[in-house]
Amino acid sequence: MSDNTITLSVDGQEVEVTRGSTVLDACKKLEIEVPHFCFHKRLSIAGNCRMCLVEIEGGPPKPAASCAMPAGDGMVVHTNSKMVVDARKGTMEFLLINHPLDCPICDQGGECDLQDMAVGYGSDVSHYVEGKRAVEDKDIGEKIKTVMTRCIHCMRCVRFATEVAGIEEFGATGRGSHVKVGTYVKHALRSELSGNMIDLCPVGALTSKPYAFVARPWELERTPAVDVMDGLGSLIEVHHRAGKVMRIVPRECDAVNEEWISDTARFSYDALTHERLTAPLLKKGRKQEGASWEKAFDAVKRALKGKETVAALAGARHSAEDLYAFNALMKETIETPHVDSRAENMLLDATNRSSYIMNSAVSGLDEADVILLVGCDPRLEMPVLNARIRRNALKRNVAVASIGTPLNLTYDVEDLGANPDVLTKLATARSGFAKTLKNAKKPMIIVGVQALSTCKDSLAIIAAAQTLAEKVGAVTPHWNGFNMLHQHMGLVAALDMGVVPAPKGMHTGQIKKALQAGKVDVLFVYGDTDITPEEMAKAKYSIYLGTHDTALSQQANVVLPTAAYTEKSALWANTEGRVLEAQKAVNPPLNAKEDWKIFRALSAHLGEALPFDTLEQLRGKIVEQNAVYASVAEHTLPEWSVVKSKMKVSSKKLDASVAQFYLNNSFLRASAAMHRIQAESDAPETELRRVG
Amino acid sequence: MARQPIKLKDEDKVFGNLDGSGDWSLKGYKKRRGYVGYKKVMKMPRTKIIDTIKASALRGRGGAGFPTGLKWSFMPEPSADKPNYLVCNADEGEPGTCKDRDILRYDPHTLVEGMAIGCKALGAKVGYIYVRGEYYDESSRLQLAIDEAYKAGLLGKNIQGTGVDVDLYLHLGAGAYICGEETALLESLEGKKGQPRLKPPFPAGFGLYGCPTTINNVETLAQVSAIMRNGVEWWTKFGRPNNHGTKIFSVSGSVKKPGNYEAPMSIPMKTLIEKYAGGVIGGWDNLQAVIPGGSSTPMLNAKQASEVLMDFDDLRELGTGLGTAAVIVMNKEVDLLAVMTRISAFYKHESCGQCTPCREGVGWVYGLMERLSRGEGSKEELDHLFAITKKIEGKTICAFADGAMWPVQGTLKHFKHLFEERIKQNKKRTKKSA
Repeated sequence: MSDNTITLSVDGQEVEVTRGSTVLDACKKLEIEVPHFCFHKRLSIAGNCRMCLVEIEGGPPKPAASCAMPAGDGMVVHTNSKMVVDARKGTMEFLLINHPLDCPICDQGGECDLQDMAVGYGSDVSHYVEGKRAVEDKDIGEKIKTVMTRCIHCMRCVRFATEVAGIEEFGATGRGSHVKVGTYVKHALRSELSGNMIDLCPVGALTSKPYAFVARPWELERTPAVDVMDGLGSLIEVHHRAGKVMRIVPRECDAVNEEWISDTARFSYDALTHERLTAPLLKKGRKQEGASWEKAFDAVKRALKGKETVAALAGARHSAEDLYAFNALMKETIETPHVDSRAENMLLDATNRSSYIMNSAVSGLDEADVILLVGCDPRLEMPVLNARIRRNALKRNVAVASIGTPLNLTYDVEDLGANPDVLTKLATARSGFAKTLKNAKKPMIIVGVQALSTCKDSLAIIAAAQTLAEKVGAVTPHWNGFNMLHQHMGLVAALDMGVVPAPKGMHTGQIKKALQAGKVDVLFVYGDTDITPEEMAKAKYSIYLGTHDTALSQQANVVLPTAAYTEKSALWANTEGRVLEAQKAVNPPLNAKEDWKIFRALSAHLGEALPFDTLEQLRGKIVEQNAVYASVAEHTLPEWSVVKSKMKVSSKKLDASVAQFYLNNSFLRASAAMHRIQAESDAPETELRRVG
Repeated sequence: MARQPIKLKDEDKVFGNLDGSGDWSLKGYKKRRGYVGYKKVMKMPRTKIIDTIKASALRGRGGAGFPTGLKWSFMPEPSADKPNYLVCNADEGEPGTCKDRDILRYDPHTLVEGMAIGCKALGAKVGYIYVRGEYYDESSRLQLAIDEAYKAGLLGKNIQGTGVDVDLYLHLGAGAYICGEETALLESLEGKKGQPRLKPPFPAGFGLYGCPTTINNVETLAQVSAIMRNGVEWWTKFGRPNNHGTKIFSVSGSVKKPGNYEAPMSIPMKTLIEKYAGGVIGGWDNLQAVIPGGSSTPMLNAKQASEVLMDFDDLRELGTGLGTAAVIVMNKEVDLLAVMTRISAFYKHESCGQCTPCREGVGWVYGLMERLSRGEGSKEELDHLFAITKKIEGKTICAFADGAMWPVQGTLKHFKHLFEERIKQNKKRTKKSA
């Protein structure tokens, strides 16, 4: 036994735990179940539910809350003595006297802690014959439905709001049996993470509003998947019934999303059935009409025949398989070099992986001692990541500074101005934040990809940030503090798969110019790209591949319907360059097909079939292209080099502001729930502050 | 125990102006030997002050009776990054108790002097006084006293050249009973919702703003100044061992002269009621019950009341406590069940709502008390009521729920027959009307 461990006995079994552990930790280590409501491992200890009471020998003659009681050396703990059993029964009885017991009409039914514990630890009768307390429901917006009479006052939601989400407008008012949880003044919750309160609520007080009365948990099939609404790639579980997605909940993963997901990930699934492209379309006159795949492919074949300039653009939210197949179709079958996946100006170097991923990994935030944000707004670009920065800023006192327009990130950020040339100044300065950065052992510099898309000197900014990282000692064999933050999922995989112009090919900006000059014969647009419908209209013939009916798809001569992220087994690469695997949960709607299969079939139709027939063969090709894809879920540090840029850093301000968080991509814009949520978040405060 | 006088001589009183007839100000307090030897005490090493208080066996006057010297010895040496704090608990809210109020308004300098000595003993440069929100007038008087002390150089930086710095700040609460619980008080003082904290950690290690903190009652701190001035020997003249000193008793209810009386500890309850408070209305034989130490302490019946001594240990032997020494006397004209129901209503109203058993249970107990005191219910329900109080007691973060359950348990112990009679009467009544 080292100095750092202590031994105690629980129910007659000896257990060794580290000093500072609680009695509950010791019980968990022995896999002894101790029921609890208020305790949650990612929140502070409240100790108020009084369900986890245990008996400790030699202490005061009353049970102790195991979640809060520090384990002591030689402690003798009983979790099943008469004292404990009686105390639990008592607590259960108290919890239920004012609970409405409306399980048959409660959405939590079947996954309710209170139900389970009542069966496991409660008594079969109660002597309670007085009237029950009723509490008025609160309107806290379009995300969460409240039935506050069911609340058992564990305060998990309040602790989440103040500790993780960083909003202080959610709390408890009143005393005793009149304690009420809610926003102090009536308004919608202003957090991008508030949906997590639904998972945290152990009863049916806070449930998902879009999911209200939709399904019962025991009817649902559960498929592990990856969220693609932002570049973090939070692990999710898709719950579906009879081929339809019913809801999305997080999976636990300490390295990526811990156990939180953003509200865009949670509530946008209705877009899977709204405004979907369900069959190939062919333009006839000014109208698009449904067609068979055969006819659509024929049309593409005819369009390509003898054409000189074929350009292809891939957008966000595509998997590695789809991007590989797309790239191969364009470059090998159609033989055009004009392929790109990057927005105009965002000239990331696909040959230098260390320049476009988050090298420190998300978990690096828990080790970093200084964080410099460059043109990024993590709160709106990656809310779950922001919660992690917040925790480190608050709990470990990590200094955070930002270059870019001022932000409200829920923690203190030193504003270094919006001018990117601050990067070069920091490299030479010796006082202020530059000193903090230099003295740091593990500094992190996080550059926002999205803000760079508006900067002509994006590559120069990246080079300056990389140089700064080198100068402050952020790049060592064991630590790389240079990081890129991808607001949108997909670009990392696109760069990994080489979806960039072949030699002599045009990049996005050049393709746009060629379009304006009327020099593009055939244009492929794959998903949510940088291109506008007006620019697309300048192509002589255009083919759109995507999941939703959008302004872009309406411009196309041929529309090919693809599969959304829940409709395919796929490998996704998140902002860290970590490869994450998702399983197919449901089928694409009607006649839509999985993307890579479309590319494979089209290549055969064009006379030169791509060399893979199955997903396994395709994944083999992907690993050949980029070996990282062989190790799913791992984070690997790529070889480091500084990108070369001929340009100088300009003084154009870095603007990372996200205009409409809940509608910031075409998938979200197809969700009715997202529109409702955006509308309430846009509403001026005065309008929402109806006292009621 | 050596025989002690029934009434204290004027020079033996810690609170010379408890009745408010004299001068409360610094001038008046100095006439009553206030601040005599103050400079000498401020020059003493802190351990010496703590040792003196330990030797005096002074026990906390706020209700729990924890030895003050021992409590003070838990405080670590002040460090550079974490200062020590002394907090005075003036959130007097226990029903029946009004002693701190008279200290604050009639003899505030006893507290100011005691706080300053306490700060010195604990190595605290700053002391906070958390005054109950309803005591607005009293807090204003206390602030005047603090201002006087600053002007006279008795507070502030380098007090009388001793090199000791003490600053006192006054804070008004917002009227929650629970803020008298020391950790809830700290939460409230920090600007948060007044809810007791989990212990451990205890305030001596992690108190106000996470710094080592000692919390003492007004009377305790006020008595410290007298002990330092008059010595341990003087103090231990009064009361039985382990229960020394003088004490303010707030006598109320069915007595001819209710009020605050400073008397020696271990005074017989009967003597206190008869010699100080003018006796029970209708005579001693008309006595029904006495609550000895504020509403949280279980009541005693008339027989027990004629024999018990007013100190921590003797009352504890009878299953009750000295508490805040608020003696509530009830003669036979009092509807005892109505009183106890009202007390239950108070606790229902004041539960902070944090812990499940207290939040849900105290209201349930009140509901039962309310119904059963009217005779509506059955004898079995009396047993259920007792069982519920046992399910609540000892299951919560703080002692509030215990204090809410003890009076109910005390009533059921001594006066169960009253409930049973009412239930019987009620049955008869309903039979007749049916």
